Amino acid sequence: MNWTRSALALLVLTLALTLVGTGIAQGQATRNPDTLVLVRFGDPETLDPAYSYDTASSEIILWHVYETLIFFNGGSTGQFVPMLATQVPSVRNGGISMDGKTYTFRLRSGVKFHDGSTMTVEDVKYSLLRFMFMDRDGGPSWILLSPILGVEGTRDDKGALDAALFNKANQAIKTSGDTISITLESPYAPFLSIMAQWSMVVNRKWAIAQDDWNGTPLGVAKLNNPAKPEDTKLFSQGNGTGPFKLAQWDRQGRQAILERNTTYWRAPAKLARVVYRVVEDFGPRRLMIQQGDADIVSVNRTEQSQVEGVQGVRVIDDLPQLVMTGIYMNLKIDTSGGNPDVGSGRLDGNGVPADFFADVNVRRGVAYAFDYNTTIRDCNRGKAIVGKGAIPAGMFGYNPNQRWFTTDRARAEAAFREARGGQVWANGFKFSVAFNSGNTTRQCTAQVLKSNLEALNPKFKVDVRGVTWAQYLSLYRQSKLPMWIIGWAADYPDADNFVTPFQHSKGTYGSAQGYTNAEVDKLIVDARNETDAAKRRAIYFKLSEIAFNDITTIYLQPVGFQVMRSWVRGWYNNPAFFGPYVYPMSKS
Amino acid sequence: MATYIGRRLVLLPIVAFGVTVLIFALLQFLAPEMRAAAFITNPNQLNALPAIIQKYGLDKPVHIQYVNWLREVFLRGNLGWSQTARQPVRQAIGSFFPATLELTMYSFIPIMIIGVWLGTAAAVHRDKAIDHVSRVFSISFRSLPSFVWGLLILMILYGRLNWFPPGRLSLEQDLFVRSGQFHFYTHVMTIDALLNGELWIFLDAVRHLAGPVLTLTMISIALLVRITRSSMLEVLRQDYVRTARAKGLDEPVVINVHARKNALIPVITLSSLTFVGLLGGVVITETIFNFPGIGRWGAFAANQLDIPGVTGFAMFVAALTVLGNLAADILYAYFDPRVRLQ
Repeated sequence: MNWTRSALALLVLTLALTLVGTGIAQGQATRNPDTLVLVRFGDPETLDPAYSYDTASSEIILWHVYETLIFFNGGSTGQFVPMLATQVPSVRNGGISMDGKTYTFRLRSGVKFHDGSTMTVEDVKYSLLRFMFMDRDGGPSWILLSPILGVEGTRDDKGALDAALFNKANQAIKTSGDTISITLESPYAPFLSIMAQWSMVVNRKWAIAQDDWNGTPLGVAKLNNPAKPEDTKLFSQGNGTGPFKLAQWDRQGRQAILERNTTYWRAPAKLARVVYRVVEDFGPRRLMIQQGDADIVSVNRTEQSQVEGVQGVRVIDDLPQLVMTGIYMNLKIDTSGGNPDVGSGRLDGNGVPADFFADVNVRRGVAYAFDYNTTIRDCNRGKAIVGKGAIPAGMFGYNPNQRWFTTDRARAEAAFREARGGQVWANGFKFSVAFNSGNTTRQCTAQVLKSNLEALNPKFKVDVRGVTWAQYLSLYRQSKLPMWIIGWAADYPDADNFVTPFQHSKGTYGSAQGYTNAEVDKLIVDARNETDAAKRRAIYFKLSEIAFNDITTIYLQPVGFQVMRSWVRGWYNNPAFFGPYVYPMSKS
Repeated sequence: MATYIGRRLVLLPIVAFGVTVLIFALLQFLAPEMRAAAFITNPNQLNALPAIIQKYGLDKPVHIQYVNWLREVFLRGNLGWSQTARQPVRQAIGSFFPATLELTMYSFIPIMIIGVWLGTAAAVHRDKAIDHVSRVFSISFRSLPSFVWGLLILMILYGRLNWFPPGRLSLEQDLFVRSGQFHFYTHVMTIDALLNGELWIFLDAVRHLAGPVLTLTMISIALLVRITRSSMLEVLRQDYVRTARAKGLDEPVVINVHARKNALIPVITLSSLTFVGLLGGVVITETIFNFPGIGRWGAFAANQLDIPGVTGFAMFVAALTVLGNLAADILYAYFDPRVRLQ
């Protein structure tokens, strides 16, 4: 009897609350008309332009607080417009030397920093050198170090700073009057893309006054590889030329606030304020956009249906993005120490040996067995395309006509029958496909692959295993994972930034897979140094062809979407952006 | 009494030390790469793993890492850098705790008042309507996990009615308190608002507190009601209660003065644990209502293997627990003279 009453009481309570609720209309007047509120699920790591290497940080400072010499033209990732420079260098206008090594930028005059001082070429040089020599472990400095000095880092294996490098850099970057010229180690075709994203200009005098790097070679030791992000003075304060000033970064309240720069060198921004808030849980984030307390929110693909059809909320879908998800096959698995992901460690039907994927027929078998359509339909809500090699569709160097794998059971079976002289087919195998736990898209992809492989032969067994990020790092580093799924997002929009991590023997994923192809390594370097666009494209086509022939990685390219209030105006997409470019935006 | 308190306070550093040893002992089960997780946020940084491990000495034996950490603590008074809080650990505790304290203050009062009152009423009117109603409510509140209640409350009271939004302040109020016209005395928003004489800030802060306070009250009240009820029932059967009634004392005096005080011993134990539990942070409630408290940070730090963060957080909670137990012991003596503190 008690239970009847309890059920009744609950019912009455629920009904009462619902009835009260339905009577209230939702206010639809533009809320906070001069403030844009963006709600995200992760904190920025730092607001220092030379330290930050995560989207959450870059989204706030890049082009808002700090600006770059050149900028992307509208939604294009390959065409540029001047920003702090007066023109985009080219061979034709003399901005790029005939040998393709020296880039000269003439600086816009009368541009003021947020503290009112005028920007000079010395500020630009200081900023570039500061970016290169901060070089924290795991930081972005290699992006400039590599083309300008031909090195990936400023320290040797033991962590000691290479003292000669600074002089070399000082020689490579020259100022004269209102021009700054940068001479590269060797011609580097993507350099303009890099300048459009990674040439953020900070205020030199102000930074020195804050006790940041003093601009001299002697100060480099202190600047180099800070122990923690807080050690750099630009960690939570900023002074750039951008349309917004950094007002506050509140790490306890988890929000960063930008305020309009009224002395901006172009017309001041339409919005007076931009607020970046962190709300980890999707529930409140969704309600905030519904109530208009947020203007733009982060939403995962799996949560998309919950924001569709909400009154006053706009979902903009099918946005190209420079992201590639890989399903990697490991050619040199470390099977030692009872590695649970390889079973017995032998090809006895209960495991796989270390070199299981070294046989191209095994890899082809996997690539033909994988059901691409089901994965895209069920795991990506139809919002992904099959990558034909490492270079994303829409990017220079992508070959739409490259032959690629399609789901073909007969061919998969043929490949597996041929693998290792028929042993694979006769004995069967067992291994795991790993994904980082919590990522339901990757989990679903792994499950599709499992069912595809197991359907071929009852002796084929695949486990799907979710591992935490920390575990993933450990297993990855030790080459323990036979197959795993993870993505890569562009550091700058150029094919080089994709073929290198995916295909080069020393690249992030290539090395983890134990993949070595001397021809590939040579072609990647050739393409980097090739300034003739047609020849460069031909090299990338060749690289995609090798990606098909050697098939070490299955590529899926997800497309993005944005969720915002319909009163947000002036937003546009560029795949190279880390977040919305707020300067042209407004609310009405 | 003073010696007793003194002795219990000596426990504090010992417990804190024990907690840190335990955490570092557990660390030895993790590979160095796993300890580096807090520093790698982006797959593009994977190639830097060896350098990061070397830089922070994550591959050193765990006892050396512990000694290094202790040296930081004793020589520099520095609990380390919390990669997840983006600030030093000590500063992180100092900045996240006031929000949790505020939440605890406002939840604990209704939990205690309603819990003890309802428990007493249920015992006195055993098997009557109020007993059934209190049982039904406490069981149904307890029977669903806190994130379900939290989300339901958020969906109805914010999503539908727009009464109680998540977070700590609305945008306009938030920008005002940051504008320099508002002085932070305690970082407890409601108190600071009153000290500044800004009633509108106070009301907005209360609006934001309502949801999490309601959730916490609902889920924490059940145990208190049940414990108070059973403890009351036991006391009401005692001879001295019968004597008091036989003397012809008024029923309220018997219940409130004679019986209840003695029934409160288990209630004190439970409420001190509840209080400490709330102060240590309520991860789910803080996360759902986006309330920037210490529990949310502690959980995030643990999830990301932010070692200095987790260690600092654990020490903090250990200290709270020791102090909470001490407070409970003192309260026992106050409520029950039979308990002697020597």
